[in-house]
Amino acid sequence: MFAVDIQNLVKLFGSVKALDGISFQVEEGEVYGLIGPNGAGKTTMLRILATLLLPTKGSAKVFGLDVVSQASEVRRIIAYLAEEAGAYRNLSGYEYLWIMAKIYFKSRQEAREAVDLAVEASGLGERVHDKVKTYSKGMKRRLQVARVFMAKPRLAILDEPTAGLDVIHANHIRRLVRDYTKEHNTTVIMSSHNMLEVEYICDRVALIDKGKMVAEGSPKELKTMWEASNLEEVFVKVVGVE
Amino acid sequence: MSSLIPLVEKEVKDLLRDPRIYIGLIVPVVILPIIGFTMSAATHSSIESAVGGGVKVAVLDLDKTQTSLSFLKFANTTGLKVFEVKVDTVKEALKELKGNDAKILIVIPKGFESKISSLEGSTLALYFEVKSVGFGEMSTFSAVNRVVKLYSKTLSDTIISSIKPGINPTIVRTPLNTTSYTVIHDRILSMPPEAVFGQLFMGYGIIVPVVLMIVSIMVAQIAATATAVENEEKTLETLLTLPVSRYEILIAKVIGSTVVAVLGTLFSMLGFALYFRILFPLQEISGSAHLGTTALPAPTPQMYLALCLSLLIAIFFTTSLGVIVGALSSDVRISNSLIGAVIIPIMIPAFLIMYGDVRSLPLALQALVYALPVSYPMIIAKNMILSELPVEAVYGIPYSAGVTLLLLLLTSRLLVPEKLLLLQHKILTRRMRRKGEVSEK
Repeated sequence: MFAVDIQNLVKLFGSVKALDGISFQVEEGEVYGLIGPNGAGKTTMLRILATLLLPTKGSAKVFGLDVVSQASEVRRIIAYLAEEAGAYRNLSGYEYLWIMAKIYFKSRQEAREAVDLAVEASGLGERVHDKVKTYSKGMKRRLQVARVFMAKPRLAILDEPTAGLDVIHANHIRRLVRDYTKEHNTTVIMSSHNMLEVEYICDRVALIDKGKMVAEGSPKELKTMWEASNLEEVFVKVVGVE
Repeated sequence: MSSLIPLVEKEVKDLLRDPRIYIGLIVPVVILPIIGFTMSAATHSSIESAVGGGVKVAVLDLDKTQTSLSFLKFANTTGLKVFEVKVDTVKEALKELKGNDAKILIVIPKGFESKISSLEGSTLALYFEVKSVGFGEMSTFSAVNRVVKLYSKTLSDTIISSIKPGINPTIVRTPLNTTSYTVIHDRILSMPPEAVFGQLFMGYGIIVPVVLMIVSIMVAQIAATATAVENEEKTLETLLTLPVSRYEILIAKVIGSTVVAVLGTLFSMLGFALYFRILFPLQEISGSAHLGTTALPAPTPQMYLALCLSLLIAIFFTTSLGVIVGALSSDVRISNSLIGAVIIPIMIPAFLIMYGDVRSLPLALQALVYALPVSYPMIIAKNMILSELPVEAVYGIPYSAGVTLLLLLLTSRLLVPEKLLLLQHKILTRRMRRKGEVSEK
């Protein structure tokens, strides 16, 4: 059974075709990257998997569960990081994690352990007890990524996890994603504009343009196939932009 | 429903720590007593400066008799600072006021003593010069008027006693008295109806509508803001991917907003109570001082239960509307401008019930009044001291509970990003188009 199984997915927003018959599969424990220019359909793809949007045609399954007819079951095994996701400004980072843990875990002990792990993973130190409104963008993002992995999801859906962050925060998040997934055999599907990041984290990558998948493979396969020294070159060659 | 507790905890904590919310809650408790204290202090100081220091009164005595002199002496003993002006006309006497820092001139007419002695009655002319507008000015006039009335009573006591010694002058002055009773549902109260209506109006005609209005507006505003903030801060998207149902998210928002709004209403009521307590410290509730043992009948527990139930349903109804407005608004600014337009029209029929007769309204308006859950607390409040629940409420409470449940269900269905994004986009486009039209004009 695939962790993610997408078959001929189409999504229309009025007359605009955001996804145009995309199909791909993600194996369990794999880190799968979606790359493509702005408006390519990456966020729409991730929102459908997160049960936020309904596909117009085709099917999307997460560990065999249909995202439309079994949405509530899907939500029990995923954790989603939206692009520019915020936390509640007037709660402290710790309170936010604690409330989320109480939603995900039925036992208090489990929730406490999860929060302790998340606090450590966020790297916020004592600042975790400060209100979220005092956090920088990078700190908020670290809190959100920690929240995603705290839930111990079978599938983590990350939309641009490091967008707009400085090198230090971005590096912290990349390491967190890489280490956590390897340690817990978590499947990750993520989107990014940062080719270096994708090359570093992802086992396989799909290039999307205008709602269609234009290339797929491991970073190494793609570089060999397109005779490029890095993924950025592959991207430019595939999308056809100089 | 185990996820409900952390969701409610999140709502209440986030709302109560929001400066836009907690400042709004604290302001009435702080500001209203300050306003009351300031007004009270200003009023007292102006009254004290007018009365406490002794009101200066000029007297033009055109009679110069024993009785007019006795009035001057009496007035001096009551604390008034009386001085006589030695002129012949009122016009000249009024000029004297300015030079002596006085505001009142009493003119004792010629024949004052003889008219009183012959039981014809005499008239004192009081001239009051307005120098400013305030409580102090009125107090000065009242103080002088009181002294004149007191002297008149003393005179009448003397006259009545001299005509018929040993008689009680009060009985001669007011030989006919009335004792009023009010009958409410076979219960006879020894209170005049105006006192009963006064208490009823204060209790159920003002307090219930005010509470309902404050809670409804506050709860809808809070729910709308809380939901719009979720859109603005992009937290709603995360919330909708958690392993919780849309219904739990909505109920948590309704409960959280209700808790905060009820707290806000309590603070507002406390603020008003302090305001009135400070401003009118010695004021008795009208009609209650001489009532003896009888008081208004207490409403039955069933009536209280019906009132609380209908209030709760009304609050849930307006909260749901608040969530709808907030969910459809991509930011707080849009939600703030929309919420008033939604809530105020809904409150109007409720006030029609309290201050008018619904049955005299056209049928369509009556139907509108009875269709809204916010109408029922008013219907019950108006009939609070009756022993039976009004027939409208008997059918209205289950009906409004059904309408509210339906609205909650529809609202939870709306919490789907697919629909929300589409509707938010439509509202935003319409607003932008309207603004464009305005600027073109």
